[in-house]
Amino acid sequence: MNGKTVTINSRELSLSNLDKDMYPPYGFTKTRLLEYYSLIAQFMLPFLEGRALTLKRYPQGVDRDFFFEKRCPQHRPAWMETAEVPYGEKKVITYCMANNLESLVWLGNLASIELHVPMAKADSPGNPDSMVFDLDPGDGAGVLDCARVALIVRDLLSGLKLESFAKTSGKKGLHVFVPLDPGKTTFQDTKTFSRAVAAIMQKKFPGLVTARMNKEYRRNKVFINWSQNDASKTMVCVYSLRAVEKPSVSFPVSWKDLEKTASQKDPGKFQVLAPEASALAEKKGGFYRELLGMKQRLPHTWA
Amino acid sequence: MMMQHGKAKAARSNGKKTESAPHEAPAQGIWSGTVSFSLVAIPVRLVKLVEPGRISLHLLHAKDFSPLERAMFCPEEEKIVPQEEIIRGFEIEPGKHVLITGEELESVSPERSRTIEITEFIDIKEVDALYYDHPYFLVPLKGGEKSYRLLAEAMHRTARAGVAKFVLDDREYLVVIMSRDGALAVSTLHYSDEILPENALAPAAEASEENVIKKTIQGMMTGFTPEKYSNDRREKLLSIINKKVKKRAEVEAPEPEEEEAAEGVADLMSALEKSMRATKKGT
Repeated sequence: MNGKTVTINSRELSLSNLDKDMYPPYGFTKTRLLEYYSLIAQFMLPFLEGRALTLKRYPQGVDRDFFFEKRCPQHRPAWMETAEVPYGEKKVITYCMANNLESLVWLGNLASIELHVPMAKADSPGNPDSMVFDLDPGDGAGVLDCARVALIVRDLLSGLKLESFAKTSGKKGLHVFVPLDPGKTTFQDTKTFSRAVAAIMQKKFPGLVTARMNKEYRRNKVFINWSQNDASKTMVCVYSLRAVEKPSVSFPVSWKDLEKTASQKDPGKFQVLAPEASALAEKKGGFYRELLGMKQRLPHTWA
Repeated sequence: MMMQHGKAKAARSNGKKTESAPHEAPAQGIWSGTVSFSLVAIPVRLVKLVEPGRISLHLLHAKDFSPLERAMFCPEEEKIVPQEEIIRGFEIEPGKHVLITGEELESVSPERSRTIEITEFIDIKEVDALYYDHPYFLVPLKGGEKSYRLLAEAMHRTARAGVAKFVLDDREYLVVIMSRDGALAVSTLHYSDEILPENALAPAAEASEENVIKKTIQGMMTGFTPEKYSNDRREKLLSIINKKVKKRAEVEAPEPEEEEAAEGVADLMSALEKSMRATKKGT
């Protein structure tokens, strides 16, 4: 059975290619992808809500061609909520939003394996509600190096009375988020701040950290990608599947667990796969919810 | 990833004027009207005879692959000048211009013509090859087939070509209409004042030297077979593109390169330094 019509919240969706293996040869069909997003929806939706989505679609599975899609497809159902957000100076793009389960399932049916979200909500696209440190290991470095950097960044921030939250990228990196008050924050603020942090980290830990994009500088080091703090950038949403060999997901890690895993030196523990994710989110993901609505302010001494 | 590219391109060029149309189907009409002489008017469509071999590459911003747009820059003020502040001038001496308004330009633009009016017939051999510019075909429209064929045949038999003036895209062209294999071909011609005088270029040669060169040329003579030559650069570039498309070479935009550490944030830096010192004790 390759297609099927389902009703979610009294809205009809026709699902297609359900037997298609999205992660060959691992074996994770579109049915399982949709099941995953349905189960994780209660944890994930709060992080998607009100945000202009960038879809990373893999119609033929993760080992084949993909494309980024910002424009919400024309053939979307009438109930699909969208947001008009400026793109560059002159253009406005109509984005999909996933504000409810049926939207998430509809997007999953488009083989949108990865869902990426901006740092700001669509109704105020110039005002980020968080700042991110995208920790990306270069060749020769790994998630354990990212964990070391994440812990230093956490301490550095807490010295400035800023709380932060970590999640795995679902690949090899870690993302450290600092929730902020969007009413008091611009991308200029988050960019200046994160860039300064990256610069000082590079200065103090030159063997571990680089703030430079260039691949040659990244070998054996963790690249702190501060430039993600930009209105035009998106980060993979927490709980989103990643298009790697296995259906791994971007998943919250508490600082306690992160310290523990880092000291055990077991990088495998950072990987969370879709089948275990919803049970684990139930058990361990609760803390990450605090990120939402925590309205911190960046120190304005420098503004 | 090809798909991403294609999509982005299609979506972004929506409603936007493109300067060249290299992908235009060969038989697509670019103009339709009548070709006329004396009392005869033949309804025709103008189609391009050659597809220019140009491969159009888009200019992208390296950091995020956004397609770039052209903007006018004022070096005096070091800023981009908006459309409404741009006027035209003809330089009469360095730094001095006479202004030409949009209305003035419009007043000299020829009216779009619906006819290619043949005013004279000439011997086609009289046209110097230097004058030929862009070739097109005329295709007869409904009702014009018979007179089209008659004209083409008569011109073929007499080796005559028609001369006409004709407006395409705001420009008035001098064209010749020729018969080729039972069809009518059109070529735009350069105006004579566009062609540089050659007497200034040609130095005098000694007769003896000329004989040597004549002999060499004789030895290199062959028939003209254009199939022998291909646009090598185009072929090579196409092969690179195809290889990349096949290999799914990265089309995802990289992250931007950062500059040196932020300036003018001394207070922030010292606050971070302070926090860092406290932190470093623990690690």
